[in-house]
Amino acid sequence: MAATLTPWEEYAGGTLAREQVGLWRDGLRRLRRNRLALAAAVYLILLVVMCVVSIFWTPYNPNLVGTCPDYTLPSLAHPLGCDDLGRDTLSRLMVGSQVSLAVGLICATIVMVVGVSVGLLIGYLRGVLDAIFALIINVFYGVPPLMVAIVLYVLLGPGLINIIIAIAAVTWMDMARLVRGQTLSIREREFIEAARAGGARTGRILFVHIFPNALGPIIVQTTYVVPAAILTSAFFSFLGFGVPAPQADWGGMASEGLSPLLSGFDPYMLLFPALALSLTLLAFNFFGDGLRDAFDPRQRR
Amino acid sequence: MTRGTLVYIIQRLAIIALTLLVVSFGVFVVVHSLPGNAFISQRVHGKSLQLLLHEYGLDQPILIQYWNFLKGAVQGNLGVSLYIRGEPVTPLVLRELSVSCELGGAALIVTIGLGITFGVLAAIRQNTWVDYLLTSFAVIGYTVPSFVIAALGVMVFANFLGTLTNGNFAYAAVWTGTYGTIGELWLPALAIGLYTSGQITRITRASMLEVIQQDYIRTARAKGLREWVITLRHGLRNALVPVVSILGTTVVGILVGVLVIENIFGIPGLGKEFVESITEHDYNVTVGVFTIFALLIGVSNLIVDLLYTVLDPRIRY
Repeated sequence: MAATLTPWEEYAGGTLAREQVGLWRDGLRRLRRNRLALAAAVYLILLVVMCVVSIFWTPYNPNLVGTCPDYTLPSLAHPLGCDDLGRDTLSRLMVGSQVSLAVGLICATIVMVVGVSVGLLIGYLRGVLDAIFALIINVFYGVPPLMVAIVLYVLLGPGLINIIIAIAAVTWMDMARLVRGQTLSIREREFIEAARAGGARTGRILFVHIFPNALGPIIVQTTYVVPAAILTSAFFSFLGFGVPAPQADWGGMASEGLSPLLSGFDPYMLLFPALALSLTLLAFNFFGDGLRDAFDPRQRR
Repeated sequence: MTRGTLVYIIQRLAIIALTLLVVSFGVFVVVHSLPGNAFISQRVHGKSLQLLLHEYGLDQPILIQYWNFLKGAVQGNLGVSLYIRGEPVTPLVLRELSVSCELGGAALIVTIGLGITFGVLAAIRQNTWVDYLLTSFAVIGYTVPSFVIAALGVMVFANFLGTLTNGNFAYAAVWTGTYGTIGELWLPALAIGLYTSGQITRITRASMLEVIQQDYIRTARAKGLREWVITLRHGLRNALVPVVSILGTTVVGILVGVLVIENIFGIPGLGKEFVESITEHDYNVTVGVFTIFALLIGVSNLIVDLLYTVLDPRIRY
């Protein structure tokens, strides 16, 4: 049926015939245009490479006391100098990235799984569960999360896993609250009614129909959980509640560098881990901002 | 104050009391189940340990212990310290609270002063170098950890400036007295305040950008008002509501900052006491510090909510 098209039909057809791109390709295209986010991504990729390399190789043994004289200043052999026990700072910095990345990424995964499940469930079912959640939120928002996490960590005992659990235990609520809000609005839409009429069970509605439609804000929130968790773990180590002794981590290294700094003879022990930590946090935040602008344009500020 | 406001305040105070009850109970139970006993850091064993546990009522069931704590707490008695044995917790914690309040108050002044000034400047100079500079400053402020900022400050103002001026203008990095002098206070307050002021800058800028597009700003300009009158009286006043709404979060941020910074500069406040009491298993002190922090957050949230009605008379409770 090759009928002649009216100008309007031609116009509409022309618009509709434009290249159709999905959520992911559209988002990636917008992300590529954001130079700051790209620079952050490059930094983060380098960080991950360094972290993986440090598992197999470091310039010196990071835990070997007396690799060089104590408080060696930066030199060619030891680019970042040595600490109070004569351990090579560059090697310790490399190994320390493992702790930061592990805390950030595993914590974000736990927070996403727990927060999303709880948020979907209480947002969809509402009722008593929602009331209990509101109570938990009210109590936890009434005390500084760092204090609760520290007490939990001391209760669980030392170890990297327990740091992650303690931090996740105080950060999952923000995610659950976000997903709950999204669920509350999505559950009223027609396609959910259609799915229910079609006989879909609750689990299917939650994870096949509601979850994909709330994915944008969830991804964005997750990228902010990573730097927040790294920051909290750095506070932990800095206050003396970090990973057990010989293991290097940035917060702990900065903390060890504090007294040589205060007595004024070696600023480098604190400077380098502090820089590594700050750059990493900045990179995660810039990357998160880029993702938000790309995948969740409505939240753009 | 209307009758409605009074009822609202009473309701909120009841909720604060309830939160305090739940928080203190939770912390009490958790702290008492920490691995090891109350006197573990003092190396007390055997018979003398049993006697000590009995003397401080620590051999009783946990619920009874909490009930005893609660009976004292409602009369303002938070029990005695187990580390400095027999020292009453309430005066100890109140003294430390006043130290922390000095630091926290200074940080709050930094936060609001810098945050609002920078936010307004960035908004009225949108997309110029002023805007870019101030927004980058804000991002760095709330991303870089407070202890890093404190350390950099010490590096520059104590070490570098000290060497440069032969120690005449050096910053004294370690707190000497109980309360800090202005000369000692500014660096810790700045280290805490930069973090929270970054958030305030962001919100103020966004809110101001929205407000200065309104018709009444154009009207004010058409009337021939001076630019600073328009910015402050017509712009800022109306842009403040969203800013005030995050002040609750700001207070929590400042408390976390106080917790970390006090331990760097050796400031004898609640934050330092919290970390010490946990390592020393000084249960009553830990619970006391938690309760005071929860009270501070609850009351400041209430004040923030009451501030709304001052800023925007349309809001009533």
